[in-house]
Amino acid sequence: MDDADLRLRNVTYELFVQLGRAPSAEEASLAAGMDVSEGWRRLHEQHALVLDDAGAIRMANPFSAVPTAHRVDARGWWWFANCAWDAFGICAALDSDGRIETSCADCGEPIALDVRDGRLDDETLLFHCLVPAAHWWDDIVFT
Amino acid sequence: MNLFRSEEHVEQWLAGQPAGATIPVATLAELAHQWYADRLASNWRPHTREQNQAILDGLGLTGPFWQLA
Repeated sequence: MDDADLRLRNVTYELFVQLGRAPSAEEASLAAGMDVSEGWRRLHEQHALVLDDAGAIRMANPFSAVPTAHRVDARGWWWFANCAWDAFGICAALDSDGRIETSCADCGEPIALDVRDGRLDDETLLFHCLVPAAHWWDDIVFT
Repeated sequence: MNLFRSEEHVEQWLAGQPAGATIPVATLAELAHQWYADRLASNWRPHTREQNQAILDGLGLTGPFWQLA
């Protein structure tokens, strides 16, 4: 990743956190002082962002640009995570305590977890990863 | 990549399809911390495959399932 793409990536992530949602291409272009479409495409190809078919941000891992079943309350804001892993990743990225709300993928029973100083208030839960690591990026939205 | 209340719930959810890998939620939390703690750092650089593999290995997530591409 060259320095220009690195700066664009950082501007995009900073905007995501400032806005509490994914920036549009117009918002990011204004902040970056350049059209971001081609740069975002390069970042997508390098797995630094995930774009949807229209070229908008779908994921800036661990953040999701679209509503999901994994919500995180951290730094006074509710965020959507791409998966259970990323829910914890949001607390880590924000260097923040947080509350994770999701549900058991089998029975649908609500799950709420508090993360305080990296420790969980319920360690009885299990995490299941269906896709082998070598194939995570084959279809990252499915993964 | 989901949370489950118990191993029984994982098995029911799989409904006979091949299982992936199941780990305790505390291991997941530590994995997420090591994977993402630098994500908003001003000096962030992309993790190399070797860095990420070392994170997995360091948490005991070894074997073919956890081998990155």
